[in-house]
Amino acid sequence: MNMNVPHLHLLLNHIPTIGGAAALVLLIIAFVRKSDDLKRIALEATYVVALFTFPAYLSGVGAQQTLLEMPDISQLFVDAHWTAALWTFVLMQLAGALSWLALWKWRRTSAWPTTMVAVVFVFSALSFVTAARTANLGGEIRHPEIIVDAQAAADTEAAPEAAPEGAATEAPPEAEVGWLTGRGLGKAYMDRNWMWPASEALHFMGLWLILGVILLVNMRLLGFMRTAPYSAFHRLLPWAALGLAINVVTGMMFVTGTPEQYGANISFLWKIIFLMVAGLNLLYITVFEGPWHHAQAGQDPPIRVKIAGATAIVSWLLVMYFGRMLPFLGNAF
Amino acid sequence: MDPFLESLQQSAFARFVGESGSLLGYPTILFLHTLGLGTVAGVNAAVALRVLGFGRSVPIEPLDRLFPIMWFGFVVSALSGLALLVTDPVTRLHQTVFYVKLILVALAVVNMQMMRSRIFRSPAVSDGALPSNARTLAMASLVLWIGATTAGRLIAYI
Repeated sequence: MNMNVPHLHLLLNHIPTIGGAAALVLLIIAFVRKSDDLKRIALEATYVVALFTFPAYLSGVGAQQTLLEMPDISQLFVDAHWTAALWTFVLMQLAGALSWLALWKWRRTSAWPTTMVAVVFVFSALSFVTAARTANLGGEIRHPEIIVDAQAAADTEAAPEAAPEGAATEAPPEAEVGWLTGRGLGKAYMDRNWMWPASEALHFMGLWLILGVILLVNMRLLGFMRTAPYSAFHRLLPWAALGLAINVVTGMMFVTGTPEQYGANISFLWKIIFLMVAGLNLLYITVFEGPWHHAQAGQDPPIRVKIAGATAIVSWLLVMYFGRMLPFLGNAF
Repeated sequence: MDPFLESLQQSAFARFVGESGSLLGYPTILFLHTLGLGTVAGVNAAVALRVLGFGRSVPIEPLDRLFPIMWFGFVVSALSGLALLVTDPVTRLHQTVFYVKLILVALAVVNMQMMRSRIFRSPAVSDGALPSNARTLAMASLVLWIGATTAGRLIAYI
């Protein structure tokens, strides 16, 4: 498994770069054409790209552990790439979260929250810039031939011979690592020893908020509590999204603080796989026509909608299961 | 060491849960505890949010059917919690935060049952009417579950 992580990262990192650019172009065309249909597709695409930015970013966290064991890899270059990736991840998630909220509002009111969509555009555009920078810095880790600054390239290549311990290419001492970098943020987080338990407590609250709201909402899709239409239950979805937001922030802090626990953890891989399933399902039950139109008051939804409801519950339970199994199936403490 | 607690800790069951290294032992019990907590606190919180006025068009009356699910979550959590307790009863029973958690859980469960009887089983529920203390009960359930979760997590640290 460990062997495949860098390769996986090389495949997945095209999602935030190429995918993010495609979603941004779609949104621009939607503005120019004043097309509501295109706007919806662009926001859905932004959400999906944000979702798959998780495995792109996290496989990078895994890949760096494999890479840093190699003699000719510069930690300075890896760290620069990591920091740029972290910024891209944050901007992409903000764009994705606001896209979801805009889609949720549009589903309810059939009108676009104009300001929110404009802010999605701003975050998407910014993340396009940082994604391009991240890709560039990532390429430099393994491809010295593309580095324009010849001296920097020479330094990287010469380093292993000059200093067998790799001292010249090590990250600067702790004091010099700014906290707004991947490694620095992780260190600042781990240095405050109350932060880990506090994040865990929050992570559990996020967990029950997601599970409770998802159970309630999707029981309607399974045909329970049929007197009310699904649209009534749909109103509660932002509370599940709030739980998800809490858990994304706290969860990413766990990974940033102790990347070695997650990089090659098989349980974490499964957790992220089912998070993708749950995330795609969340998009379906938020905006797609099936749940919205075929679970009217008194109506027993068709089988495909029931499958979506069951998928929501099962996939979130599996996210929870593999999260709980991180120390047992995998190597987290 | 209390001989009773010691015999508990040395029992075949406690040793299976705590020391066997089987995936069906400690890991599964811990998962069940999380599942139970997630179900009882989560569904209770979702219902409390509705009582607080989010999703007003969700009718109150059919939500009464969710209470057995909450109780299921509570029972799973309580049983798995007992199983976890017997693996290390001496440490746990000397931790203040453990008792804080138990008290908060007890209050949360009493509050949950009060929500059921006062709101969901009240004669006025079929008109969608909420009693005057409905919001207080709903707020209390959110606060108590947040407190119980925090205290529960701190057991591993304090």
